[in-house]
Amino acid sequence: MSDVQNTLRDRVRSLLAEGKISCFIGWGPTRFKDRTIPKFANKPEDAGELVYNEHCLSNLAKYALDFQFSAEVAGIAVRGCESRAINRLIADGRLTRSKLYLVGIPCEGMLENGSTAEKCAFCRHRNPVVYDELIGEPVAEQENPPRFEQVLELESASSEDRYDFWQREFAKCIRCYACRNACPACNCMECYTEQYRTGWQGKQANTLENSVFGFTRAYHIGDRCIECGECERVCPMGIPLMKLNRKLVKDVESLFGSEESGLSDDASHALGCYDKEDLEEFM
Amino acid sequence: MARIDAENWEPKILAFCCNWCTYTGADLAGLNRMKYPDNIRIVRVPCSGRVNPQFILRGFQKGYDGVLVCGCHPGDCHYTSGNYFTRRRFLLMKRLLEYAGIETGRFQARWISGAEAAKFRDTVLKVTEEIRALGPNHRMKEADDHE
Repeated sequence: MSDVQNTLRDRVRSLLAEGKISCFIGWGPTRFKDRTIPKFANKPEDAGELVYNEHCLSNLAKYALDFQFSAEVAGIAVRGCESRAINRLIADGRLTRSKLYLVGIPCEGMLENGSTAEKCAFCRHRNPVVYDELIGEPVAEQENPPRFEQVLELESASSEDRYDFWQREFAKCIRCYACRNACPACNCMECYTEQYRTGWQGKQANTLENSVFGFTRAYHIGDRCIECGECERVCPMGIPLMKLNRKLVKDVESLFGSEESGLSDDASHALGCYDKEDLEEFM
Repeated sequence: MARIDAENWEPKILAFCCNWCTYTGADLAGLNRMKYPDNIRIVRVPCSGRVNPQFILRGFQKGYDGVLVCGCHPGDCHYTSGNYFTRRRFLLMKRLLEYAGIETGRFQARWISGAEAAKFRDTVLKVTEEIRALGPNHRMKEADDHE
């Protein structure tokens, strides 16, 4: 991985020096060996501070929104998850492809506390699906990881147990909205949680309102979730949010036959269109 | 005021009815002097596509025992395609609600046209009986002191 890091630094240095990009979004070091943070390289000499190792957990794509109104081209490191997130943001009309320079990095999964990160365990796209240049060789994809296993397990529980499970989980929620802030599909200019005058949503930080927030957020991104697992990773209270998101992803795939979100920057998504031949349950 | 207990409890059902079909159907049921249970509270909406899935959650929060969404038959929408979107939305929402622990049957959706007064009556009768069988809803309901 250190050769990927060196190539990345060299490439970013020359891209910045040539003026091809005005800024590069990558990962940088922290005080801890096993932690990294997002790093913005603005000058060629900053490139030497970029880091790429098995601890690069953050999904960088959302930071590209910092440059949405910029006239300059921003560079960004993209692995499978970031590339799909970038596609999602382009499809949602928030970014322009020509204003981005994507440096692809095939990824074999990151480490969290010494073992494969939860968010990487069910990854189906380790290689970036879109990039301008690729650093390193493409890696083998995981063969059908059991990504819906946890959903099926909870589905088989009784209705009462499911209710208790989610209420117990959302009792922990502190409504910090970190899940929303990190999520590449949660990219509305104004989030519904900030609309104070609709009259049909509560603001109390109690278990019930927390769960309503959780279900609503999951539903809002249900047809656009790219399964990067960033929401669950950033949750300070350890709520298994992907168990909720994957339920919707699973239903969207089985009901509407949609392909996974973020594989292209095509703007169509399951709830934004319809088919006259959709399943009829309401007759 | 009499206290509501297990003896005299009646299901309270929230129904979103589209202005062009179901609401007209309900009106026709009334004109024809058809009797249907008064457990239903109708909210008239311009189109079933107006019904934000969050309204369903809100309904349960505010103490409804069941929520019904009604609109024009697919293909008959006054706005051409509103109910096709509704169908997708609620196919997904229904499954999410069940996953969240709301009992099957508490949320229902039906297509009822302006001419189907009898279908409106039968639907209300059937949904009311189904929800009566499920009993009072306590899940996703705000505590009484929040009301």
